[in-house]
Amino acid sequence: MLDEDVAEATLGAIESKETVLLAEVRLEERNMRGLAVKSSQVNSLSSLEDSGMNVRVVLPTGIGFASSNRVSRVEGARLAKQAVRLAKGGKRESTVALSSEQPVRTSWAVSQKRSLIDVTTEDKLAFLRELDSLVVKTDVKVQGRYYELIDYEIGGFFANSEGSRIRSFIPRVVIGASNMVSSKGELAMSLREWGACGGWENVEEWDLGRVLPAEVRMLKNQIDHGRMLKPGVYDLVCGSEVTGIAAHESCGHPMEADRILGREMSQAGKSFVSQDMIGKKIGSKYATVIDDPTVPGTYGYYLYDQEGVKARPRHLYKDGLINEFLQNRETASRMNLKSNGSSRSEYYLREPIARMANTFVAPGDFQEDELIGSVKDGVLMRSFTEWNIDDKRYNQKYVSREAYFVKDGELAGPAKKCTLEITTPGFWGAIDAVSKKVVFDAAECGKGDPMQGMAVCTGGPMLRLRSVTLK
Amino acid sequence: MSELKELAVHLVELARSEGAKDVVAQAVQADTQQVRFSNSQIDAVNGWSERHVILFVAIGKHVISSDLRSPDNYDELAKRLVVQAKKAPENEGYGGIASGRFKYKAARIDKAIVSLKDPSKQAHEAIHAAESEGANNVGGTLFVRHQRFGIASSVGALAIDESASVDLSVRAFSQPEASGHALSCTPRLSKLRPKETGAKAGRLAVMAKNPAQGDQGRSDFISEPLFIGGLINSTSNMMSAFQVDIGMSMFAKKIGKRVASEEVTIVDDPVSDSTSRRAFDHEGVPCRRNTVIKDGILKTYLHNTSTAKRFKTKTTANAGPLIPTAFTTAGQPLPFHPVVVPGDWKVEEMIADTKRGLYANNTWYTRYQNYSTGEFSTIPRDAILRIENGEIVGAVKNIRISDNMMNLWKSVDAISKSSEEVFWWDEATPPSTLPTARFRGLNVTRSS
Repeated sequence: MLDEDVAEATLGAIESKETVLLAEVRLEERNMRGLAVKSSQVNSLSSLEDSGMNVRVVLPTGIGFASSNRVSRVEGARLAKQAVRLAKGGKRESTVALSSEQPVRTSWAVSQKRSLIDVTTEDKLAFLRELDSLVVKTDVKVQGRYYELIDYEIGGFFANSEGSRIRSFIPRVVIGASNMVSSKGELAMSLREWGACGGWENVEEWDLGRVLPAEVRMLKNQIDHGRMLKPGVYDLVCGSEVTGIAAHESCGHPMEADRILGREMSQAGKSFVSQDMIGKKIGSKYATVIDDPTVPGTYGYYLYDQEGVKARPRHLYKDGLINEFLQNRETASRMNLKSNGSSRSEYYLREPIARMANTFVAPGDFQEDELIGSVKDGVLMRSFTEWNIDDKRYNQKYVSREAYFVKDGELAGPAKKCTLEITTPGFWGAIDAVSKKVVFDAAECGKGDPMQGMAVCTGGPMLRLRSVTLK
Repeated sequence: MSELKELAVHLVELARSEGAKDVVAQAVQADTQQVRFSNSQIDAVNGWSERHVILFVAIGKHVISSDLRSPDNYDELAKRLVVQAKKAPENEGYGGIASGRFKYKAARIDKAIVSLKDPSKQAHEAIHAAESEGANNVGGTLFVRHQRFGIASSVGALAIDESASVDLSVRAFSQPEASGHALSCTPRLSKLRPKETGAKAGRLAVMAKNPAQGDQGRSDFISEPLFIGGLINSTSNMMSAFQVDIGMSMFAKKIGKRVASEEVTIVDDPVSDSTSRRAFDHEGVPCRRNTVIKDGILKTYLHNTSTAKRFKTKTTANAGPLIPTAFTTAGQPLPFHPVVVPGDWKVEEMIADTKRGLYANNTWYTRYQNYSTGEFSTIPRDAILRIENGEIVGAVKNIRISDNMMNLWKSVDAISKSSEEVFWWDEATPPSTLPTARFRGLNVTRSS
């Protein structure tokens, strides 16, 4: 149990001749268990019990962050002193400022129907081996079968010099599955992930005993019966996985306010979006992208961010217009706004920065078969393998893992390695129909230096894009 | 530092007394400072201090590992881990840990790095140098790292190690779409070059001004060490026997076969002086220099004891951390310090010898359609300079290389005499020592 008195004592130990604009202390404990199975055999088994703390001090001339995997009053006092010293090292010419936010005193926790800690290693191993067995029974030749299950709980206590005191508890479970299918001398790769906040009930809902065999059969079908697309201009229907990655890469990332202000310029880069582009057109009226940490059960779920600001949905693109950036207190202050609760850190050893949570395209009015049925000559791209985007988040590429030709509104056989290489306005501007059903996929978002892998969801409905170039 | 070794020995003995057979304990003390800067001023100064023990326990083929991170509770956690091992399912692929009377080379670290308390001065020097060359917006990071290790195993490993390094990354802009990137990574503080690094990034940013839309089609590339660092990341990871075993490597079934042009020799060298020099791998086996690709021919995969047994060979002393980390499993063989062996070209000669092509400063976001076949794409960034008739004549933007990674290495026809250490963020990693190289006829694509 985290000792709140340590946080109070640490806050009390922060001393500086300069005005301290803000001091924060975060205590954290993590219990983690990992199991990996390779071709039905145990590959690794691990466990982790961890606790630590950090202190962040904001002075008018700089920000200092000090952290350690020891939790005590003595360590807190040492970190307090170090954070002040590091903050003084900034020597900024422009004054640091933070948005004004209401102090919060609360406690929140994610509930579990079946607690992760109660699922034994034997049960987990039996579960993964059953998945492997079902994949083997498909008679599809799967050369590499590697399945990994990680579950953990994070308990936190946050205190700041403005009076916020927030206790939190998040359990998460995540499964990664790697399958390499071979047929007729060709190979096809699938790397997939499922994740949620909550208990083991989520794993049961994923229905992986059906999904994984279907995945390897699909890959074999793509190899055996897939035809290459003749490059040209087509209508494209994006499945939710493709919609989600586009929402994450070409909306979520360029709308991070710290990136827009340049703080990530030497790592993940800047953004094609600038501060003065709020209200500017980025796509068709169907382009509405929301980042919402408050969707229950999602992998990126949280109720208060790591600056103690209450989380809420952020409409990043709205009806085709650039609408709202992902803000923390520092970026919001620089834009004369309030934070919208986007500050997250991977764990106690890392500084909090502006991050996505669950980023998805808002649902529309169409049924999925209506979208496909209205395409005369095109492609349905359900999922992707290779993808990337440039560091201003303007030029992106998605190569299909599962795709089908569409002729006169009907699926007309698998299409191999369809490639969409398109600009951000090109993608969002080509949408003319959106389906009703939103599907989420779990993912690890990379940002920060050192890299912080962050639990997020990407997602959305099916989209219909008119007249885009496919290769 | 002997306290870390004593702690490791103590936990090995404790685990053995509780019933464990194979035990490896690695005690780590890691202290890191980071200066982050953007828009030509410092954003934050961060510090991390970690003290922990990675404990690996096996009873027969019942194997488990943990990262013990509560210093007041090591003994109890170790005892609990042995209990867990007794109940753990069998790991059929476990092939033991390396045993022997190992000899280790003592480390000599630069004490000036350890005592460096305020690295912001070097960050400011880099910023000012970039601006003096014409940059108007400069960002980057300066890391100061100090790590100490003590390792012990139940079958012979017993050693200490220490490393200290500084690594500076500077990205400078002269226009919103014109930038240059440069690094200085070294285990010797006196060899850190903040002014030269900032100045180089600034010069490249100016050369990259007014970029035109890049052309699609085949193009030669003269690529800087930083650019190659982004490719070495996935290339060297696929040299791991583990990646080969799970079908995630283009090098599978390629031992003794050509995987690169004859110009290319790639070595994993963790024993020379560098930011990632290390005395032993994570099983405690003394590290050594392994030639992985010799004159374009694949000679070996990188192994730990278990993968070596599976592949009927010996460990190459590349066992990775015995606890899973992001995207790696416990003990997974990893490259520690890839080196592309220098050639005999001067960079200016390469440019003069190129009729039409591109000079590329950096790349990022390298992703694969299929690791086993090598189809990939990567996005060149920062200065992409156009070469015509042996001279740099302008800059381009918005291009992507969409090709096959093995074909890329087979296309190398010139490698520079000079090389440098590169280590940047999550892209040019692990730390590596690389030259400039010319790749022939790579496929360039762009958004329609």
